[in-house]
Amino acid sequence: MSPVSTACSGFIFALCLGIGAPLAAAPLNEALKPLAPVPTLDPAKVELGRQLFNEPRLSANNSLSCASCHRLESGGADNQPFSMGVDGKPVTLNTPTVFNASLNFKQFWNGRVDTLQAQVEEVVTSPVEMGSDWKTVVQNLSALPAYQNAFSQAYPDGLNAANVQNALATYERTLLTPNSRFDQYLQGNTEILTTQEKYGYQRFKDYGCIACHQGVNIGGNMFQKFGVMGDYFQARGNPLESDLGRYLLTKDDEDRNVFKVPSLRNVAVTAPYFHDASAKTLEQAVDVMFKYQLGRNPTQEDKELIIQFLKTLTGEWVGKPL
Amino acid sequence: MNSLSRLDRRRASQVLLGLMTLFLASTLVFLYLKSSRDQTATYTQSRDLLRQLQQLNAQWDSEVLKARIAITHNYDPLVTPLTEMTRIGAELESRSAYHSAADLPVWQASLAAYRTAIQEKARLVDQFKSHNAVLRNSLAFLPTAEDDIQAHFNSIDDEGRLQLQSVATDTYDLLLSSLEFAQVTSDERAADILVGLGKLAINQQNLPLEFQAPVDILSNHISLILREQPIVNSLLERIAAVPVAERLDTLTTHLDQDQQAADLVDHQYHRYLLVFSTLLVVLLLYLAVRLLRSFAEINRVNRALQSANETLEQRVERRTQQLKDAQSELLDSARQAGMAEIATNVLHNVGNVLNSVNISADLVSRSLRSSKALGLGKAMQLINAHQGDLGTFLTEDEKGKLLPGYLNQLVDAIAIEQQGMSDELAQLNKSVDHIKDIVSTQQSYAGASTLLEPLEIGALIDDALRMNAGALSRHHVTVVKQYAPVPQMLGDKHRLLLIMVNLISNAKYAMSTLSEQARQITLTVQQTGDDMLKISVKDDGEGIPSENMTRIFTHGFTTRKEGHGFGLHSCALAAVEMHGQLTAHSDGPGHGAVFTLTIPLTLAGSTS
Repeated sequence: MSPVSTACSGFIFALCLGIGAPLAAAPLNEALKPLAPVPTLDPAKVELGRQLFNEPRLSANNSLSCASCHRLESGGADNQPFSMGVDGKPVTLNTPTVFNASLNFKQFWNGRVDTLQAQVEEVVTSPVEMGSDWKTVVQNLSALPAYQNAFSQAYPDGLNAANVQNALATYERTLLTPNSRFDQYLQGNTEILTTQEKYGYQRFKDYGCIACHQGVNIGGNMFQKFGVMGDYFQARGNPLESDLGRYLLTKDDEDRNVFKVPSLRNVAVTAPYFHDASAKTLEQAVDVMFKYQLGRNPTQEDKELIIQFLKTLTGEWVGKPL
Repeated sequence: MNSLSRLDRRRASQVLLGLMTLFLASTLVFLYLKSSRDQTATYTQSRDLLRQLQQLNAQWDSEVLKARIAITHNYDPLVTPLTEMTRIGAELESRSAYHSAADLPVWQASLAAYRTAIQEKARLVDQFKSHNAVLRNSLAFLPTAEDDIQAHFNSIDDEGRLQLQSVATDTYDLLLSSLEFAQVTSDERAADILVGLGKLAINQQNLPLEFQAPVDILSNHISLILREQPIVNSLLERIAAVPVAERLDTLTTHLDQDQQAADLVDHQYHRYLLVFSTLLVVLLLYLAVRLLRSFAEINRVNRALQSANETLEQRVERRTQQLKDAQSELLDSARQAGMAEIATNVLHNVGNVLNSVNISADLVSRSLRSSKALGLGKAMQLINAHQGDLGTFLTEDEKGKLLPGYLNQLVDAIAIEQQGMSDELAQLNKSVDHIKDIVSTQQSYAGASTLLEPLEIGALIDDALRMNAGALSRHHVTVVKQYAPVPQMLGDKHRLLLIMVNLISNAKYAMSTLSEQARQITLTVQQTGDDMLKISVKDDGEGIPSENMTRIFTHGFTTRKEGHGFGLHSCALAAVEMHGQLTAHSDGPGHGAVFTLTIPLTLAGSTS
């Protein structure tokens, strides 16, 4: 069979398919990408990670688990401006959601670690967060035969710090919120969004929000200076050390007030906003973004459209909308 | 001494052989391992990883450029290559174990240089993303911002517009030079834009209030472009200057050299292996020759063994034949001995009977010697002397008168005498008949010699007694007979007689040593059960010591000086031949003995 005839028959076959079935909607090629399906991971590790996620023995005084601040039922974070650390004092940065965290290119507001494992490491050993150390954690977990068994079944080398981190990271990779209306739209179901929301998306692109909030996680893949078009912190007042962002890490003036661009997925349910929780509502946050990041004066109508669009980014967790 | 040293030598050679085998085997294994290290595979894999890294790096560069010219707004492709490169880099590092010790630091230094480069590039790319995003945003927005201002110009009346014509033109020029600046960034253009911005700031003061905000926004964005464009450009240059590709090339070169060196070593070991293999082959050939030789030797020895074996077999055969011959000779002599035994037996029995014959003849001759017939002769002499006067003599002579009486007495005596002699001769005849029987029996010994005839057991025992009568009377033996009434039976007369004669004779001998005591033989016959007959001969003689009890029936056993040891033996045999049994019992020396013959009782009327 010649290549030409192969191609011909292939074309005819495709044509037949096209006639036979209702036209399958092609995914839209946009700068925003739909969420990938939840990866298939070792169920034993995922289950172990789930238990550890809810395990207060990870903290120094057995008072805090990951789930204490990252509440899956309320958007993967708490609705406090600042969560309480192990010593009962609030931490310095707003708790970001754990949902879709595995899609962020780096972890933490200042992107100081590259992996989820390292993120676990940081939080567990941070004196203001969980305030523990790995020796204690492993010891505390070893005291429970259930963990011993679960670890020796999931990992050849059993219970140790690296495997605790790995189990947690594995679990966190399953914490995705698929099936948001906007994802369905991106996958080709253009009817799912109202005209208003589609306009909102148009404004989102036109005003340049998309310059930073793009990709599969609608953000979370670059750093950006907070205050491109003006000094936000001066306007807000009371500048804090935590406002320095990546500068604390690199000591490079270039990185002053530079933060990881957060993901906008589920943004409607993760108030308050920004690292300093300074925006209580989505409207406030959008205002700040327009003024200090975009340097634009949008009409009230456009802002509302954009907010409507942002609300389509809310996905589902275990089959229920967040 | 000699064998000991040979043993030592053998053990030493065995140890030597073992050591040599061990040495050869380990050399082979060593060379094999050295020449077949899985280095090429590792090399290929490492090269593959490096190639992937190079590809990802190129992809990364191209994504940076795409972002630079605003083909895409999606920055994910600028993140994924780094993630992949980090993963592959870690894999590459985990494979560095095979490098030689001297080589490892250089390789690791190259890897470290690569890591530094990639970190630097990642940092620059992150900065590029940030700056490029805002720059692209502002550039994209610039025409719109200008349009906003123009819209305001258009909304005011013609007079005012004429007044502000130069401002509008300046603003438009500023927009154009900013866009040009984005394409060709130079200090002169930057200076132009700065001048333009200054002009705009001055113009702004003369513009109506509604112009303030759009102009602010425009000048802000132009300032941003002015600020960010050189940064983005310099970042791009710096990104291009980061020697990631060069580091990767270094690593590749290093890997190639390493592989070449390894190949060289590999070849060397291959050569060694070849030489060693040749040596082994030579050794094997030598051993094969040795083996063939040993094989021939073994064959030779085998053949010698086989011939020796054959000789041995012949000798064994010969010896077996000799043995067979000896055995048949033995058999013959045994047969002769048997015959001699039979002859002895016969003679013994004949001897016993002859004894009776002798006694009878003796009695007859004694009777003849003392015959009254001699008196007849004397009477006749008297008659002859008185031939003439016979009548006178008989009537008158003293002597003559007695003569007729004497003759009458004589006739009576002679008649008695003749009767006795005729009896004795009849007995003699009987004995001779017995001898005839014995001889004829022995002559037909091999055949079924049992001759059953009706007989009275009591009469038979009496015959036996009579055969021993002389001896018994000589030894003054009293015979007590305790015969139970037994009907006429079928039996082997000769054998029974033989046994009884022997037993009576033995009993008589057994009592020959008794001097004071009365000598008595008790003969008992009784029927036991329905069909058994028991005949016993009891004496009061010397008895049998218990140690002899088991031996008395064996051939050749005797306690008598002139005995030959056949009597009891032949009796026992005869008893067995009659399906009976001969047993002996004694209470010990001095308490006498009882010999009991038990035979089946077959009544005379029951067969025939």
